[in-house]
Parts: sequence; structure tokens; C-alpha cells
Amino acid sequence: MSLSIVQSIPLITLAGPPNSGKTTLFNFLSGQNYKTVNYPGATVEYSISCFQTKFGLTANLLDSPGIVSLTPSSPDEKISIESLYAHPHLGTPDLIIATVDASQLSRHLLLARQLIESKFNVIIAITMADLLKKRGHELLVDELKKALGCEIVVVDGRTGSGIDILIAAIEKNIKTDHLKPEPLPYCCNLEIDRLIHSYNEIEIIERRVLREIPSNGDGAANLIKANKQLKILNQPETKSIKSHLPDKTTLNIDRYLLHRYWGLFFFFMIMAATFTSIFWLAAPFMNWIDALFGYLADLSLAAFGFSWFGDLIANGIISGAGSVLVFVPQILILFLILGLLEDTGYLARGAMLIDNPLSKIGLNGKSFVPMLSGFACAIPAILAARTIPNRRERLLTIFIIPLMSCSARLPVYALLIAFLIPADKPWLGGVSLAAIYIFSIVSSITIAGIANKLKNRIVKEEDNSSFILELPAYRKPQLKVVLINTYHSAKIYLKKAGPIILGFSIILWLLTYFPNVDPKIDTNNLSETEIIQLKNAERLSNSYAADLGKFIQPVMTPIGMDWRVGVSLIAAFAAREVFVSSLALIFKVTSDNETLQNSLLEAMHGAEIESTGKKLFTTSTIIGLIIFFVFALQCISTIAVSKKETGGWRIPILQLIAFTGTAYVLTFITVHGLRFLGVQ
Amino acid sequence: MRSASELKFGEKVIIYSLDGNHPSCRRILEFGFTPGQEIELVSKSAFNDPLAFAVRGTLIAIRKNEAECIKVA
Ligand SMILES: Nc1nc2c(ncn2[C@@H]2O[C@H](COP(=O)(O)OP(=O)(O)O)[C@@H](O)[C@H]2O)c(=O)[nH]1
Ligand SMILES: [Mg+2]
Repeated sequence: MSLSIVQSIPLITLAGPPNSGKTTLFNFLSGQNYKTVNYPGATVEYSISCFQTKFGLTANLLDSPGIVSLTPSSPDEKISIESLYAHPHLGTPDLIIATVDASQLSRHLLLARQLIESKFNVIIAITMADLLKKRGHELLVDELKKALGCEIVVVDGRTGSGIDILIAAIEKNIKTDHLKPEPLPYCCNLEIDRLIHSYNEIEIIERRVLREIPSNGDGAANLIKANKQLKILNQPETKSIKSHLPDKTTLNIDRYLLHRYWGLFFFFMIMAATFTSIFWLAAPFMNWIDALFGYLADLSLAAFGFSWFGDLIANGIISGAGSVLVFVPQILILFLILGLLEDTGYLARGAMLIDNPLSKIGLNGKSFVPMLSGFACAIPAILAARTIPNRRERLLTIFIIPLMSCSARLPVYALLIAFLIPADKPWLGGVSLAAIYIFSIVSSITIAGIANKLKNRIVKEEDNSSFILELPAYRKPQLKVVLINTYHSAKIYLKKAGPIILGFSIILWLLTYFPNVDPKIDTNNLSETEIIQLKNAERLSNSYAADLGKFIQPVMTPIGMDWRVGVSLIAAFAAREVFVSSLALIFKVTSDNETLQNSLLEAMHGAEIESTGKKLFTTSTIIGLIIFFVFALQCISTIAVSKKETGGWRIPILQLIAFTGTAYVLTFITVHGLRFLGVQ
Repeated sequence: MRSASELKFGEKVIIYSLDGNHPSCRRILEFGFTPGQEIELVSKSAFNDPLAFAVRGTLIAIRKNEAECIKVA
């Protein structure tokens, strides 16, 4: 977000309940088409933009996360409401466009009315009028205008209908030179009676402003009956309000997807399909990228000769960049599927289905989306945990998120699995990867269960545990929007992780190349390649990296590994995937027209532990390494975000010690257990 | 008096009152479960918890123990 926003131009904020069409409207007005999400509460970040020039308005437009009322019930809502009053960078909005879903008029008017009562300067944008019409009703805009005393415009952010009227209304509103609004704080502990009263008033308005298009009076009868039963007086003659029924198709689909028994079955099928497709769909793309970078490294070595410069370009930069880019396909596909599930409305159902099992281990149905995002990257996942109202459940969710198998582990697993499986049985790779995922899910559930048992030591809070979630109507996902979101996610990811990985790659290159740049060796009777290999080995064994490695050797020996793996594990703290490029560097993979991975695998097969001469990478040490990566918290950014979101060092330090300690101990047990069973 | 957690599938009832002592009461109200409002139980998750109700034109999932604070006529 650019902070150099001129304070003097007006700020217009879009506010409304989740899924009321804020982001759709934002995208249309800004032309930026930045982000729409369907999962209630998922818009944690703000998007800001100017109006498209064709509208001729100079104002900043801010998209805000959905809120149900001005009384917050979770940290993200608290932030949203506070920034509505006074955004930390942008101040108080000069105008609020409150979006109201016409097909859920009474629910959505609650917030709109609270905004008006709090003396915000409000224009109401009615969305989804098409849905209302489909249900046989129309909205009497003038009546509503009279009842609420503010400007009302019917818009459709998807087609742009009504936008010209909205623009005119905004223009008129901000030109009438009224003072900057000073909204009154909304009294947080309002009595419940006032809420009920407010709803009653809204119902009266609703009856006045909704008119049935054809005649069909079934719902009306019920309502009249209801009102008679409750002796609600002072009501105008009720008209039929059939829009009280949710979407028919949605109800029909939910008969299966939310079925008592089949619901969970479909849920697991959908999750399984999601993860399998990540692996299967991404595989060919990953191979192309891998081969391309292997080829580029070769080219540069050929172009610059075997000088330090050529070495830096080929091994430091190109293979570093390759290790960043190689798993972009998987990230893209994961985000794409997550986006599609979100946009159809299924994710909220997933949360509902999994709420009960998760509540048994101290989590919440709302932990589901953060945990699922954790399979892409822990950082956005930890941020997404803000949607969990209960502090205890939120902290516990954050606690276990680093155990979700994030995409940065994928290249590591891919390499290690490729080492294990025979080349003629590639299908085994998919199966092994699936097994690792299942193992990591089971482990994180176990750890969450244990952490919940030790709850008072890890998470001290007690709080009302609650699960109230709107299940939005099923919608056909808008592929274009989802694709754009996916693209943005991948771009953000590359921007964040790319420089770190590349930087570390270069630092590692320096550490492994210096100080003994040109070692003296006996070159008699040796071919050119042998000379190069010998020089590489000699240079490395006298390098700074080796000095560092000797220091950590004592920690690595018990788990059957040596300092070279140790250095790579330390490097992996920058980002886990650095492990792969670091191994490639340390084993000086000089590619001869092969993919990077194949030549690295070859080097790994040949590697020996210096002191004993035994093979370094065996089935047992490779499986040990996989176990290490399943548990270890090796990500500095995760630690930083965890500190920020939990408000202290306690949880991140606990995570670091508990997960990395568990990783080390389990690796030790795995390596020696396997050896004991006769697996080398 | 029954609570909303005891409804059968597809049963439509009118909310009579809410238990103001329940910590989630305000939230439930804000989501549109007000006295006089018609609700319908449309689905139950496995283990019968949470429950999804149709209310005011949309579906809201809430936990069983929260549905208990909704008294129905
Ligand atoms: N039928 C219909 N759908 C709409 C309209 N406006 C937005 N939508 C859809 O409603 C969903 C939620 O919109 P979004 O802008 O993400 O809501 P937000 O949560 O308030 O930001 C998206 O799938 C939109 O395509 C409308 O006027 N009519
Ligand atoms: Mg949004």
C-alpha cells in the first residue's frame, strides 16, 4: 500500500457484512481487480486505490474486511471496526459506501443503520438486486431512502449497472462542503434489548420497501401467523416476504455436501483431490523449470569458463534462482484450488464440518482455513487465524500452523524422495509424498492434542468458545478473479521469498568458495573433469563453510550426518527450500547437460562421511531428514509473524524449541531405529 | 420450552426468546436470530454439531450449545 497518499483528497471506505459485494464494487470502481474472497472474514488486508479516471473523481477508495455489526467479536473485526473510525494511515473516512445485499436486507441493514446512527456520512449501495428479483421481489428505493434518511443506490459491481448513479451520488455528497464526519464511538455493551428493537424496526422498514413481483403468498401467511402469535402490535399489513428463504439450489446442494454422514466423506474426498492434484498437475511444469535452469547453468559455465565468476553465476545465482522458481507451479496450483473452493462457498462448509472434531483438540472450525493455508505458507496462515474469536483457540491454531506442510518443504521432499525411489517407478513418488503429508497432518493433530492437554502451560487464556459462521450461497466461481488472485499470491510469495533465497544462495556460495580460491593440487595423470572435481573438493574442505561445519559436527554425528548437511540445515532457516540449493552448492553440482536435480542426486549418491568413509546419504539418513523437515520450525519469518500475532516471545520460542527439539529427537530415533532393523 | 438445538430436520419454528446469559447471545442476535423470527433447521454436521439454520434469507451455522440459548415456540 502506498503511504504517500495525499491526505487532502477525500477518503471513501467501502463497508459492509462479509459477501455483500464490497470487493466486487471496489474492483469495478478502481479498475484494479485486486481481490475478491468468498469466505466470510477472509479479507484481512485492506486494498486501497483511486477511482478509475473515467469516473472523474479524485478520491481514495478503501476496501475493508466484512463486519456484521459495530460490536467486534474477534481480533480481526476489532481491527476492522477501529480502522473504520480512524484508519491508522488514512484517518476517518469522509464517506462510507455501505454495501447491503438486497436478498438479505434485514440482516445487512443492521450494520448500515448502526453506521448511520454513529453519524458516519453514509451512502448505501444495494447489491444483489438480481438475486432478489429472482426470488420474486423488488425493492422500493424511494421508500427505503425515506425510511433511512440517506442516499440509496442500486448497483451491480459485476456488470457496472447503477455505477453512474453511484458516482453522481458520491460527487454530490463530497461536494456539499460539510465538515469531516466525527463518528460517535458505538457503545459496545449495548443492551440486547436495543439490538432486538433495532431488528424490529428494520423488519418494519423491510415490509414497507420490499414488493412482491408475481403473487404467491406462502411466506406471508407464516409471517402473519408468527406476528399474531407473538402479538407484535403496530405493524402495517404484512406483505409476503419470500426472500426470507435461502437460495434453493444451495439448499439442494447442501443436502449432500452437508449430509450428516456423507458430508464428511465428501469433505475428505475434496481435500484428498486438492492435494493429489497439487502434485500431479505441478510435476511436468517443475521438470521443465528444473531442466531449464540446469541448461542455463551449463550455458553460463561454458560462456565464462571455469573461473570464479562463472562459478558464481552458475552455482550461486542460477541454481539459487532455479530453486526458488521450481516450486512456483505447486504454489500456483494450491492457491488456485484454494481460491476456487473459497469462491464457490465451500470453505465455510468445510469449517462447519470439521468444527466438532477440531473442538475436541482445543481448536475451532474456524481454524480450518488458516490450517489449510498453512499448506501454502505459514505466514498468511498465521494472519488468517485472526478470524478466530476465541483467544485460546487462536493461539493454539497459531501454535500448530508451522507443522502444516508448507510449500517450501516440497522441493526438499521432492529431492529426498527422488533419492529414495527407483527411477523406473516414478508413481512411488506421489505415493510417498502423500504419505508424508498424511504423516504430518496426523502429527500436528497429535501435537495439538498434547498442547491442549498442557493448555495452561502453553496457552493461558480461557474464553467463550464459539462457532457462528455464515454459509454463503453456492456460486459459480469467477475464474478470472480467482486467476488474478492466484497470480497476486504467487507474486507476493516470490517477492518475499525470492530475494532471501537468492541472497542466501550467494552468501553460501561465498562461504563455500573462499578463502582457498585456487587450491594447489597434483594434476599429473588427471583428466580435466577430474581436476575440476578435485579442486572443488579441496577448496570446499578449506572453506569458511567447512569451519562453520566443524563447529556443528558434534550435533550432526549422532543422527548419522555430517557438517555438510548441518550447514544446509542452518541455511534452511532462511527458508526451508534453501536446503536444496545449499546442498547443490556444497556438493558442487556441475551439470553436464542434465537437470540440476539429477546431477545433485548423483553427487548425493557418491557422498561419503569424511571421517569414516561410509556413505553419507542412505535410506535411513534420508528418511531421518524427511522426519526432521516434518517437525522442525526452520523459518525466521514464521517466528517473527508468530511473535507479532501472539503478542510476545513465549509462543514463538516454545514453537522453536518444541518443534525443532522434537525433530532432532525423532530423527535420531528414526535413523538408529532403521539401522537397528537392518535398513542402512 | 424447546430450544433450537432440539429441532428435527426441516422443522420450521418461530423464535420465542433468547437466553441473555449465554456469552454468545449478542452474536447470535446480530446474525439475525431475533424473537419472532422464523428459522428452519437445514442440516446437521456429523456428530450433530454444529447445526445450520436458515434465517433471514441465508444459512448460519452455529454450535449446538449455542443453539441451546435460542428458545423456540
Ligand atoms: N448476483 C450477484 N452477485 C454479486 C453481486 N455483487 C457481487 N456479487 C458476488 O458476490 C460474491 C461476494 O462478493 P465480494 O465482492 O467478494 O463480497 P465482499 O466479501 O463484501 O468483498 C462474489 O462472488 C461476487 O461475484 C451482484 O450484484 N449480484
Ligand atoms: Mg471482500
